[in-house]
Amino acid sequence: MKLGVEERWDLIDRISKETVTFGVYRHTLKDAIGELTIKPMTGIPVAIAILYGFWSVFGSFAGFFTDGFFVRLFDAYWLPWLQAVFPGEGGWLYAIMVDAGGIESGEFVLSSNCLESFGVLTSGLFVAIGVVLPAILIFYLMLAILEDIGYMPRLAVLIDTMLHKIGLHGYAIVPTILSLGCNVPGVTATRILETKKQRFIMMTLLAIFIPCGAQIGIMQDVVPDLMGWILLYLIIGYFIFGYILNKVIPGRAPEFLIDVPPYRRPMLSNIGKKVLGRVKGFFMVALPFVMLGCAIVGVFYQLGVIRFLGDLLAPIFVGWFGVPAETAGPLVAAFLRKDLAVAQLSVIEMTKYQMITAVVLVSIYFPCVATFVMMLKEGLKELIGALAVLAVTVFLYGGLIHLIGKLLGVA
Amino acid sequence: MAGQSTSPTSPASQTSAVAVIYFAILGIATTAFGLADLMVTASGSEFAYGILEIPNDIFRGGWGGLVVFFAGLLYLSGARNMGDIHQFAKVAMGSILIWIIAGCDIFAMITESIPGGEEGPWFNTLTGFIEAYAPPYAPAVLLLPFSLVVIYYVRKRVSGETRGGTSS
Amino acid sequence: MKILLMGHPNVGKSVFFNRLTGANVTESNYPGTTVDYTKGWMKIEGEDVELTDVPGTFSLDPKDRAEEVAVAMLHESKDVKVISVIDASKIERGLYLALEIIEEGYPLVIALNMRDVAEDKNILIDAENLERILGIPVVSTVAISGEGIKELVSRLKDAKPVKVDDIIANAAKTTITADAAGAGGAT
Repeated sequence: MKLGVEERWDLIDRISKETVTFGVYRHTLKDAIGELTIKPMTGIPVAIAILYGFWSVFGSFAGFFTDGFFVRLFDAYWLPWLQAVFPGEGGWLYAIMVDAGGIESGEFVLSSNCLESFGVLTSGLFVAIGVVLPAILIFYLMLAILEDIGYMPRLAVLIDTMLHKIGLHGYAIVPTILSLGCNVPGVTATRILETKKQRFIMMTLLAIFIPCGAQIGIMQDVVPDLMGWILLYLIIGYFIFGYILNKVIPGRAPEFLIDVPPYRRPMLSNIGKKVLGRVKGFFMVALPFVMLGCAIVGVFYQLGVIRFLGDLLAPIFVGWFGVPAETAGPLVAAFLRKDLAVAQLSVIEMTKYQMITAVVLVSIYFPCVATFVMMLKEGLKELIGALAVLAVTVFLYGGLIHLIGKLLGVA
Repeated sequence: MAGQSTSPTSPASQTSAVAVIYFAILGIATTAFGLADLMVTASGSEFAYGILEIPNDIFRGGWGGLVVFFAGLLYLSGARNMGDIHQFAKVAMGSILIWIIAGCDIFAMITESIPGGEEGPWFNTLTGFIEAYAPPYAPAVLLLPFSLVVIYYVRKRVSGETRGGTSS
Repeated sequence: MKILLMGHPNVGKSVFFNRLTGANVTESNYPGTTVDYTKGWMKIEGEDVELTDVPGTFSLDPKDRAEEVAVAMLHESKDVKVISVIDASKIERGLYLALEIIEEGYPLVIALNMRDVAEDKNILIDAENLERILGIPVVSTVAISGEGIKELVSRLKDAKPVKVDDIIANAAKTTITADAAGAGGAT
């Protein structure tokens, strides 16, 4: 037999009368602090502080491993050693695996660091282990702590009003933040959103505007002083295009109701397990892609494909986006490996504003292959839609950034 | 509001005048430090006096200074009628903000003190390592010991709460 | 036999799952951590049993993709027992889902989880009485620290389908006796 909704509540009411006694509810300090972190007046300052902490620890930790040890290990020991022992200097395999080198005053010279060499075993390994591993490790560690304490739902409530403007609701902060680590779990997490419209908006925004841990790690390493501007442009883009998408796409964007759980002391074992699991998951996906992407980029360079495409697209890059012609190569290569592309960009000479534009372009480009596959799993139609939005967005937003630069007189 | 339902006679809500004055003064000092951070950063100048050095980069001085300023406001707003749990929570939150900023500063010191630097050996020398921890310090680090006092009151309150809980 | 872990979002289903199977499913203190199901194996009295961590759902009438996954899980599985995980501090809402599952004729065990949180809020639940009214095992647990997990597993064999009519009758009986006692006291 099945009950109606009313009958069921009625029965529950009777059962709970029998079995539950509610004592006097007294606020504990934990409850009171919990409320403070939700009310906008006090909650926003707390969120600002937590973001500060997140970023500060991220920078210190990643800098410690990357700049403190890995840069030296790779540049001073690994690269020269490989350059010496790998056979066939100047050959195509050597160029792809170790060092593509460069031509200086008509002579072939080897690269002096792992960012310029573009080899699978040099740049590829350095980016994956030296830069991305520390970044992703500390990111997931801090995320796990915030999750287990129970801060995430509070952040969701705080940001709810803002995200409603772009057709989402506070809970969209969860896929967004997860995507800062890796877009793959971020795309999976969009399932908590109710309607197709919301899921589409979220997935598209994630793929376009949220840089993953690998990109953030490399940006932190090669252009630390421009990070703030780059992220600012991405956040602004997230909201502008979210707002437009919300207006353009038909469908509902329902209210959300969220249970805010009490704060809990995080369990060390759970955090450890979670961080290791996520880092492992990331590397199972990312490491093969970094290496493979690196190899394909290398092959394309050798075959002249990238130069060809670069020359073809250079008028757009130079004229519309306002970046130097030399960036065409990396910007084309960014279709395969965004993190490597950022590294390549960092060694090209250009103004600060051009660098910001170029790195933002790399970020809002085509999503990485792993994310692409993940989005395909969630629906072919959505994927095609997202790609169409992406193409338009890159073109418009890239132009807009150039325009802003011109208005400010810095481009 | 639920806060007003807390009975004023419960042992947890008795707070000495000392505590109120202490956190009011700490609040003024913290707010002032936060403002100093912001002003030094905005003007782009440098400021160091004795063991105090005010950061002037946009991240630590600007963003961090803003947080210190918020912490000060939380102290000031919570110190009045601190016996009330909601008021006391503000004071505790103020301290937590200081711990975040100071904790980050100290963590940065630690991570900078260990590697040997670009041209040096792999690890820092012992002297260099110790020097990294020498003053001057940022305002949040100087405020840290004073902000820890809140732990004493939290403990006092928690023991009060459990006593109150069993008697009811 | 299969066992499904069902309940509202963020009541600790994944914590149970990890405790029971020794697996590593992501646990977090926010609703919606599990959006896809995970399967694992556990041993009950020497027998291997498949356990599934189902995404959180508020009712059997799905509102989003994760909930659709949850409801489909229940309807597509044959020969299942359900562990209904309920947040003890929000028992009414949890019972709603539990009743829906009972009405569809599935055998059920109730885990009254987060007893510690309920106690913090001064909510006391008479688990024995609840068990008598519902006619199915009810176990108080604190999954995160492992309290009550063993008892839950040992009571799984007592899970059986119950009729809603019996529950209504049981609830009515106690209400009447309580009323009668009250009336008796007044006269």
